[in-house]
Amino acid sequence: MSIKSENINLSYNNEEILKNLSLEIKQGEIVTLLGPNGAGKSSLLNIISGDTDANSGLVYYNNKDINKLTIQERAFIRSVMAQSQPIVFDFNVREIVEMGWLDRGNIKHANQFDRAIKMILNDCDIASLEFRKFNTLSGGEQRRVHFARTLLQLWRESKSDEPRYLMLDEPTANLDLSHQVKMMKLIKKLSNEGVGILLILHDLNLAFKYSDKIAILKNGNMVSYGKPKDIVLSNILDDVYELPLNVQLSENRIIINYV
Amino acid sequence: MFKSFLKVYLVSILVMFPSFLLTCELASNPSRITVAGGSITEILYFLNEEDKIIAIDVTSNYPKDVKKYPSIGYVRNLSAEGILSLNPTLIIGEDDMGPQNVINQINRTGVEINILTEKHSSEGIIEKIQCIGEIIGRKDKANHLIKHKILPKKIELDELSQLLKDLDIKVMFILNMDSGSPIVGGRETSADGFIEMMGVKNAFNSFEGWKPVGIESIIKASPDYILISNRGAHSFGNIEMLNNHHAIKHTPAAKNNNIIALDGMEMLGFGPRTINTALKLSNKFLNNHNE
Amino acid sequence: MSNNISFIFNSKYLSKSQSALLIIIFIILIGSLLFAFSFGSYNFSILSLIDGSNSLIENTVFYEIRVPRVILAGLVGASLAVSGSCLQGLFRNPLADPGLIGVSAGAALGASLIIVFGSSIASKFILSTFLLPLFACLGSAVVIMLLFLLTKGFGHQGVTYMLLVGIAINAIASVGIGILTFISSDSELRSLTFWTMGSFGGVTWPLLIPAIIIILFSFIFLIPVLRNLDILQLGESEAKRLGVNVQKLKYRIIITSATSVGASVALSGMIGFIGLVVPHLVRLLGGVNHTYVVIGSALMGSSLMIFADLLSRILIQPAELPVGLITSAIGSPFFLWLIFRINKI
Repeated sequence: MSIKSENINLSYNNEEILKNLSLEIKQGEIVTLLGPNGAGKSSLLNIISGDTDANSGLVYYNNKDINKLTIQERAFIRSVMAQSQPIVFDFNVREIVEMGWLDRGNIKHANQFDRAIKMILNDCDIASLEFRKFNTLSGGEQRRVHFARTLLQLWRESKSDEPRYLMLDEPTANLDLSHQVKMMKLIKKLSNEGVGILLILHDLNLAFKYSDKIAILKNGNMVSYGKPKDIVLSNILDDVYELPLNVQLSENRIIINYV
Repeated sequence: MFKSFLKVYLVSILVMFPSFLLTCELASNPSRITVAGGSITEILYFLNEEDKIIAIDVTSNYPKDVKKYPSIGYVRNLSAEGILSLNPTLIIGEDDMGPQNVINQINRTGVEINILTEKHSSEGIIEKIQCIGEIIGRKDKANHLIKHKILPKKIELDELSQLLKDLDIKVMFILNMDSGSPIVGGRETSADGFIEMMGVKNAFNSFEGWKPVGIESIIKASPDYILISNRGAHSFGNIEMLNNHHAIKHTPAAKNNNIIALDGMEMLGFGPRTINTALKLSNKFLNNHNE
Repeated sequence: MSNNISFIFNSKYLSKSQSALLIIIFIILIGSLLFAFSFGSYNFSILSLIDGSNSLIENTVFYEIRVPRVILAGLVGASLAVSGSCLQGLFRNPLADPGLIGVSAGAALGASLIIVFGSSIASKFILSTFLLPLFACLGSAVVIMLLFLLTKGFGHQGVTYMLLVGIAINAIASVGIGILTFISSDSELRSLTFWTMGSFGGVTWPLLIPAIIIILFSFIFLIPVLRNLDILQLGESEAKRLGVNVQKLKYRIIITSATSVGASVALSGMIGFIGLVVPHLVRLLGGVNHTYVVIGSALMGSSLMIFADLLSRILIQPAELPVGLITSAIGSPFFLWLIFRINKI
């Protein structure tokens, strides 16, 4: 099972933003979109998540055309973390996280609620913030709260093998290094549990360390796609970012530096 | 169950329409009267029947004695329970009593409501006194008092107004200056009727009702006299300030110091006082002219 | 949209302290109802009603005059406060109030039309009691339809657009009312003025019962989507990603607010501040989730309005103060205090 986008074209005001893009996110796989600003990464994620409609092309969730799924069915399948809006009322952290909980109409699932929340608050390292007012948190802390909510939306009993997917647009922005790494580790753990993950990252090192597949976009085109190692070996990065980059490839590690 | 509910509902709708609101018929019980209109209070005092009054409204300001009565407030915004709490047997008012729903509610409890139609003329005043006389069962007394106290004044007023008619004296009536421009009485207003009673001309007869007028219209209208209610004058300041108001100072009225402030009800109430006031003013107009 | 109904009855969206608060406010409401039933310019003992020793006129005053009035006050208070809280949630703006979408202005325009032109159309006594509320409801219905048409064509524009439409409607209605004010006669003008200041006087059962039905139904219609209003606070796109049908939510909120506010304004004129201030007061007391806030606003708005009406009936008895003056007099300093308090946090 996977999420597939096929031949996606997107134009806005006569400007072509995405040209004939196809991308698949398989269960258990971390796919990262890379590329310079304006390459179309967020636009592609928005189309795959169902936020916006493409001008042409199709998106499939588990082989079903996304247009034939209700908003609720989509919410059961994937969760998204993207640009967040300011929150006008004084909700506390727990209340925000709780908003990710979907009513699946079965009582057993409902009973898991307290357990699920506790676990996720711990995993995201925000347990100590549980009753703080969301608006009093720092940018990075707020991000972690939104991440926790996104995880709660995906939460299942450990025995379940329903296909689930997670889409994250620059989740590590505003986070300090240790929290960036913690988040990536959590994401890796989820993918090991079978969640298919679409990521947009700016940090090349994080991307190359954690991704199973990398898709590089430039000017609306996909200029490269493949395993991190293969991309590094193809020497395309310099052209993409138009910067001289120094890439070190050793056994299990890829390190990219700006020269 | 629904059927009986529907029945009750429909009956209540019918009952919402008042049984009857009378004009000048004799009331079944005029012993406890709530008055909604200053001229009515005046007239009851004029007929020496003021002991029947149990409550007045906010426009009843004459004679000073009336302060002792509880006030039902502004005649357009009455309170059903408030009025009923004083146990009136009769309510006399003019057609501006309201809101309509409240009037209906009061009427349905059995309290009689008589609504007088007002005519803005001296004949109208006499008819009003006669009407109230009939309502409270003092028809003969009313006619007697009219004949001896009102009629002579009316005749005098009529004579004066005949003389004044030929003199082309223009009068402007200002209600107040609250909104910046003066609010002036045009045709069909009580002010218009008052001015006509005196035989002089309303300087603003090109529109109906009370309207704000601008400086150019005022200069064009060129009033010889300006009448204004005391309240209107006081809320603006004083006569001196009115004389110097930019829109007014170019009028003959201002230049000749002919801005007159009087109690609003004694001019526009259309009770006995109005005839007295009209007489007083007509005399003044005539004397001024003859100087 | 069946999202989360089970949770409401699980009280997952009402914490223990919130449930306790709501019960307290409910008790206050019952108290104010009893208090308002017992007092008025007409003095008689409530006990006399119970043991039947009262007179016919006391009966009439109580059942035909006082009771419908108090009930209307409670209904209108609830309806305005609920609308205010829902619109604040929908527009994600703490300054939203029922007037914002233009419905009260539309109702006021309808009422003004009948006040100024009605006396020449219908005989004064027949039908006039129904005519004004009817025209006011027509006015608000026209506004609802306008909002519906203008935002459906631009369905996905977001709530800012709807806000702008509401502001435009308010402006147009003001112009209309202004013109009517200008051409009105003196007596019509005074009636208009009093109508806009608000009053619960004169309401009778035949007028009250449709209002009860409309307002209660609006409220029931709102309960299933209160949780979705919370989720909407994350933003429209995010709410959609969480499975909330934002379009449907918008329509439901606008239509229920508009109908219940329209019915309220039709019967009682314009009464300000309750819709704006009560939700904030409720939030201050117990939290911001909409299940709590909307229910709390209904109860508290109801109590406050009943109390304001009691004051309007008693302060200058046997005369009456327009209730809108009282809500403004209490509401404005309270509003200022709220602003300072919010700024301090």
